[in-house]
Amino acid sequence: MSALPAGRGARRTRGLAPTALAAASLLMLAACGGGSLSEGGGGGEGDDSGPVKIGLALPLSGVYSSLGEDMEQGFQLYLDENEDQLGGRDIEIISADEGETPQTGVPATTKLVTQDQVSAVVGIVNSATALGLKDTFVQSEVPLIIANAGADDLTTPPSPYIWRTSFTNGQVGEALGAAVAEELGGDPIYLMAADYAAGHESVDGFRESFTAAGGKIAGEAFTPFGTTSDWQPYLNKVRSSGAKAVYVFYAGAEAVNFVKQYDAFGLGDNIQLYGAGFLTEGGALDAQGKSALGVRTSLHYSNLLDSERNAQFVEAYEAAYNEPPTVYAVQAYDAAAVLDQAIESAESTDGAGLAEALEGVGEIDSPRGTWSFDENHNPDQPYYQREVQEVDGVLGNAVLGELEQ
Amino acid sequence: MLSWLDANALTMINGVALAAVLFLIAVGLSLIFGTMNVLNLAHGAVSLTGAYIGVALLDGSATMPNFIVAVLAAAAVGLVIGGVLAVMTSSVKDHLRQALLTLGVALIAGDVLREIFGADVESVPAPAGLDGAVSILGRQYPLYRLSIIAVSAVIAILLYLVLERTRVGAMVRATVADRAMVEAIGIRTNLVLGGVFGVGAALASIGGLLAAPILGAQPGLDDTVLLLGLVVVVVGGLGSLKGALVGALLVGQLQTLGVAMLSEYASFLLFGAMALVLLTRPRGLLPAKTGAH
Repeated sequence: MSALPAGRGARRTRGLAPTALAAASLLMLAACGGGSLSEGGGGGEGDDSGPVKIGLALPLSGVYSSLGEDMEQGFQLYLDENEDQLGGRDIEIISADEGETPQTGVPATTKLVTQDQVSAVVGIVNSATALGLKDTFVQSEVPLIIANAGADDLTTPPSPYIWRTSFTNGQVGEALGAAVAEELGGDPIYLMAADYAAGHESVDGFRESFTAAGGKIAGEAFTPFGTTSDWQPYLNKVRSSGAKAVYVFYAGAEAVNFVKQYDAFGLGDNIQLYGAGFLTEGGALDAQGKSALGVRTSLHYSNLLDSERNAQFVEAYEAAYNEPPTVYAVQAYDAAAVLDQAIESAESTDGAGLAEALEGVGEIDSPRGTWSFDENHNPDQPYYQREVQEVDGVLGNAVLGELEQ
Repeated sequence: MLSWLDANALTMINGVALAAVLFLIAVGLSLIFGTMNVLNLAHGAVSLTGAYIGVALLDGSATMPNFIVAVLAAAAVGLVIGGVLAVMTSSVKDHLRQALLTLGVALIAGDVLREIFGADVESVPAPAGLDGAVSILGRQYPLYRLSIIAVSAVIAILLYLVLERTRVGAMVRATVADRAMVEAIGIRTNLVLGGVFGVGAALASIGGLLAAPILGAQPGLDDTVLLLGLVVVVVGGLGSLKGALVGALLVGQLQTLGVAMLSEYASFLLFGAMALVLLTRPRGLLPAKTGAH
């Protein structure tokens, strides 16, 4: 070292200064972190006085941002109805933008857990993002309450830290299968979906209960996800196959273009269209307009559901936001209701404490009907068959009846 | 053979309709590249702007005069955007920088459109009178798609006549061939090139609006449209009108007939075909003969 020329030595010292500064600030940060750790124990604050920190990870930008907006409104409505408290405790909401893909959603949500040290996270629309986050939540011992993402794999095998207030893709399709088989009375059906995990899971679920109830399948097609804008070649095949009905899984822009083309090419007149309820939910139905009339879908909610609980919810929601609630709003509303129960009964409000309390959450009195968690932490809930009808001059999903499961 | 035709004739007609939409969007991209040597990556955003003009002006239902007003408005807005883009890119000669500049414009435009119109997919109605369907070979086919073929054919012929048979067309071709000489005889080539950029963008905007009753309007459509446009001009040959037409027809059939016959490979057909063309004819099927490069 002493043999080094003076000049180089001097440069070395200058180079070291920022590093030393960085090291010092790191130490200071560690000291602060240690302080909060001694208060709380792993992930989140555990003291029983201050507000409970809840992370809200919703898409505020990108193609799913309209879903994110609905979910934020649903969650906020529950807080408004309960004086901004859950389980008798003040709540501090920390929001993160999930964006469109796991590339944005995973880091934004991970930050809620590691940096903001929230006690639980609510949200996540995209299934791929949810799958990418699963391990983070399990290892940090912080519960993730999924309020939309429907991938079957998220809850199999179940984890004490992963809960879901929405649905699984398979369930939504499965619920409809038997009823459609009965309606068709032996006539064949054509299955079609976007070629990605959700589409396959939905069609698999439908096919299972449909064939078990004696239904016949005329053919299947999986269309390239995100790049298909013209369904004429597929619709031509549906006609040639002799099918008397079609079951599809599409959402968002694809749902709009598919339903409009199904009508424009005249299939709607004699081939009944069935689907998972996202086909005609919220903004999609507005854009489809009259071309969606008569489309039948299964879902766990419709704003036209005839119950006292739902009427009260719809009234409050419309008063607050001046638009009818969607299934996405209800899923987030119910996530708040779940947290309400869990925080009420939790011994400590850190991540592990909340996860333990979630096991004890009982029935949720939801606008969609009463439901509770099953052994995989998915909602054990009613599914409804809905049909797009014009009610009082407005298009909506009228409820035909509850589907037997 | 006859039964095959019977089963697929409608699909082939539909492929031509899709090609008509693709041509309207891609021809502007091709013209701008052929004359100005600018790769305009904001082309998709201009097209989406056209679609949103339809959303803004046509609420729910559209009468024919309303629809024509919307088309004219889309053309005017496209012309202005094209002029602005021409000024912005005029001092940037390097292709990479042009791409970065126009891509930046596209990103900003996409976000502004989302801010104004929201993230939900919006639909644009077909004009009254064309929103019905006709029966072709005993099957229902939307009349609007057939009208698109007619409109697109008229525009293609007009473009050809203007470029090949008029004084303005001669000025454009001369500017591409030898800019200094054209300047020397007293023609302001900047104006000529800016005009071509404007017309190219106006065509994209009109194409976006005419496609909106079929494709809708939503964030992200700009990228899809740009990608399809790029595939069309790469397959057809950059900078030539005929190339854009051939490319559009080919891509149209690939997306319909190809998908119908080889549905398992639907995802790969488009880019597979593009790779094949690039391997065998690297300059595209019908490249411009008098391109600036």
